[in-house]
Amino acid sequence: MNAYLTSTGSFLPGPPVGNDEMEDILGLVGGKPSRLKARILKANGIQTRHYAIDRQHRTIHSVQDMAVAAARQCLDASPVTARGIGMLSCATTQGDMVIPGLGSMVQAGLGLPGLEILTAHGICSSSAMAIKAAANAIKVGEHRAALVVVSELASRLFKNTRYEAAGGQDAIDFNSEFLRWMLSDGAGAWLLESEPRGKCLRVDWMRGISHADSFPVCMSIGTPADVTDTRTWQDFATYGEAEAAGALLIRQDVRLLEHIVKLGVDGALRLIEEGTLNVGEIDHFLCHYSSHHFRGKIATMLEMAGASIAQEKWFTNLYTRGNTGAASILIMLDEFLREVRPKVGAKILCMVPESGRFNTAYMQFTVVEA
Amino acid sequence: MTTVEVERPVALSDLGQETLRRLMREWFEFERLLATVPIVRRLDVGTFTREDYQRLLLNLRPQVVEGSRWISRCASSFDRDHADIRSTILRHAFDEHRDYEVLEQDYVAVGGDLATIRAREKNPGSQALHAFLMFKSGEPNPGGLLGAMWIIEGLGEKMAANWAERIETLTGCGSEATRFLRYHGHNDDAHMDKLYSLVDRICNSEAAANDVISTAKVVARLYAWQLEEIDAA
Repeated sequence: MNAYLTSTGSFLPGPPVGNDEMEDILGLVGGKPSRLKARILKANGIQTRHYAIDRQHRTIHSVQDMAVAAARQCLDASPVTARGIGMLSCATTQGDMVIPGLGSMVQAGLGLPGLEILTAHGICSSSAMAIKAAANAIKVGEHRAALVVVSELASRLFKNTRYEAAGGQDAIDFNSEFLRWMLSDGAGAWLLESEPRGKCLRVDWMRGISHADSFPVCMSIGTPADVTDTRTWQDFATYGEAEAAGALLIRQDVRLLEHIVKLGVDGALRLIEEGTLNVGEIDHFLCHYSSHHFRGKIATMLEMAGASIAQEKWFTNLYTRGNTGAASILIMLDEFLREVRPKVGAKILCMVPESGRFNTAYMQFTVVEA
Repeated sequence: MTTVEVERPVALSDLGQETLRRLMREWFEFERLLATVPIVRRLDVGTFTREDYQRLLLNLRPQVVEGSRWISRCASSFDRDHADIRSTILRHAFDEHRDYEVLEQDYVAVGGDLATIRAREKNPGSQALHAFLMFKSGEPNPGGLLGAMWIIEGLGEKMAANWAERIETLTGCGSEATRFLRYHGHNDDAHMDKLYSLVDRICNSEAAANDVISTAKVVARLYAWQLEEIDAA
């Protein structure tokens, strides 16, 4: 059986925030402006993004709120009713609650009765895991409609007070500040069904390839700043001690991050070799590259492999909507379908590389008409 | 006398392009394998020490000393119908035939003793790597060794771009102690031109292409073994 993506929705909190306003909202660490901000923003190319917190660091929209708002937009555009949804498949990097899973919270927020839920755990590629689980549930005939909702609220991690609690300016290095100028907030939702409805997207295939067996952790929360200290955050006597040791800061190992491009291309070449992917057929390429810095590198490597996708086929809203982690690919496809309106028969390739411990996910859709 | 070397084609043949794609996949596979080798893992996670660097140089030198031997032998195994390939490879052998001296000086700069590094024998991985390269390079027209060059040169570039600065940061040694690692950073354009040209020239049959890939596979695994032995010794 097939699965069809029949409706999408998204939610971005508050007005767009320009590069010069970011630090007004996130705060000055130790009262001093960041020395790395301009350099990191220049590399990632992001011009505007959205934050769910305000200047007083109050949370205006929770992860759950944003998830519910995106899901409502998605469902409002579809005749499928709440009772018609058999499965709710959610993902987030970090929900409002440590437990229970986001799926439970979103179900409650939407008031969806008696359905199956799933919460995928991870970073950017957790969205792909949630999408694949939903698509497979439809393909095996267990459900006729499954709602995927992914919501991210990274800005809470970036308050100046977080860095000050971990030692302030002296304790911050490039790796612990990097993501402060990369990630922002938002949510996206996709509705998958067992039958096509109007002009919609057929799921051709989905695949994830993880390389955690080969590489150390590259993006993380949970380990202290001292690399020789093998404790993780819950091993400390109190959360206060863990925070003081830097174990609750979000970090990116920028040196290892370079692997993400090669592994993303490697996965594409693997799919080409096995006959799953034919890049010559691709009409639109939606790649969740986290930073403009990587776009050229991906293109160069694909070209070297004889697998290039023409630049005019690439679509992204990274520069205006920001990098919303796991929610990015859902928000990106939502905007793509509204703005580009792809033709029937067009093939869309989505790629979600995650640097956490190097997992790359790929999805291909074909535009069909019921 | 002018030396005629192979030239970069305007576009790769289908087989050349396919081989390049397969070589890229072998390289990615090699990088994954390398990242699991203990000394490389320490470099990645930040626990690599000055002693680690000394051990790395000690274990690299025997193979580097022999490096020019297999390349020269490889060049001389190409017959006159392949004189252009021979010229290209000979130039390469000349470029690198004394770089073990730079490595020795780096070892001294990081606090090592010259007599110690010169007396060091090949570790088991180095023996296997050297033996395989010498065996392959003695075969008539050993085009498969393009796969070996792809891996070894790729690693040279990785050392220059990715290891040298990292080692300086973690061990506190200066750039006078990482000259060997940095030495192998290539001028990208010239390097790629040479590579494209050799891929197209050598891969003129499925069998030749398969030989290139299989040689790359073997060299990658033996090289990783050579580095694994640093922690076994």
